[in-house]
Amino acid sequence: MYQLEMLTDPDPVIEAYKKDIDRTLIRENLRLTVEQRFEELMRWQEFAAELRRAGRQAAERCSPTSPN
Amino acid sequence: MLTNFPELIRLLASSGVEFIIVGGAAAIVHGSARATKDLDLVYRRTRENVARLVVALASYDPYPRGAPPGLPFKWDEHTIWNGCNFTLITSLGAVDLLGEITGGGSYDDLLPDAVRLQLFGVECWCLRLERLIQVKRAAGRPKDFEAIAELEAILEERRRVNSTS
Repeated sequence: MYQLEMLTDPDPVIEAYKKDIDRTLIRENLRLTVEQRFEELMRWQEFAAELRRAGRQAAERCSPTSPN
Repeated sequence: MLTNFPELIRLLASSGVEFIIVGGAAAIVHGSARATKDLDLVYRRTRENVARLVVALASYDPYPRGAPPGLPFKWDEHTIWNGCNFTLITSLGAVDLLGEITGGGSYDDLLPDAVRLQLFGVECWCLRLERLIQVKRAAGRPKDFEAIAELEAILEERRRVNSTS
């Protein structure tokens, strides 16, 4: 069985990373339901896919071999 | 390709597959603001459960993610028993089916540290936040350092809220 006490030993590497964590985002997320958190994730996925598509399109337009 | 988290979870749970949500999706459950592209699941390696898993995903074209097309990959019970952990792409998106995980072990090892969720109209298990942190710490992968820091910050935030309420 897992011992919770293990987590009380801070890892100095993780502590260093923790300084840069945006806790306002965490507090916002903790106010959402679990399903709302997944809905946010899926909206982000769609947004990221659209950004990638636009980036590819822009790169093709800028390519020296592009017909445009 | 986008991963349809609700459909995958609904499909597996309603098919009676015994699984525990771990990894980035479990982090989302607990409040992480970090995005993940795949659904990581620890599945129970019993004859009955493997059979249910095979049937559930059979219509969704499971195939090793990132592998070249045309491999002689056959989605059946024999394939699952011959392997353990599978990183798959399906028509519902990316899903990692893990027979066991570093620092965590198998489904039965993890179940005492899982929480029952009502999610997308079904019930399923998700690894507890404390155990998720422990597993990620045990894996010791540098790419996880920031994720672990965030999970520990979530734990601290929860404790702060609980102590003030």
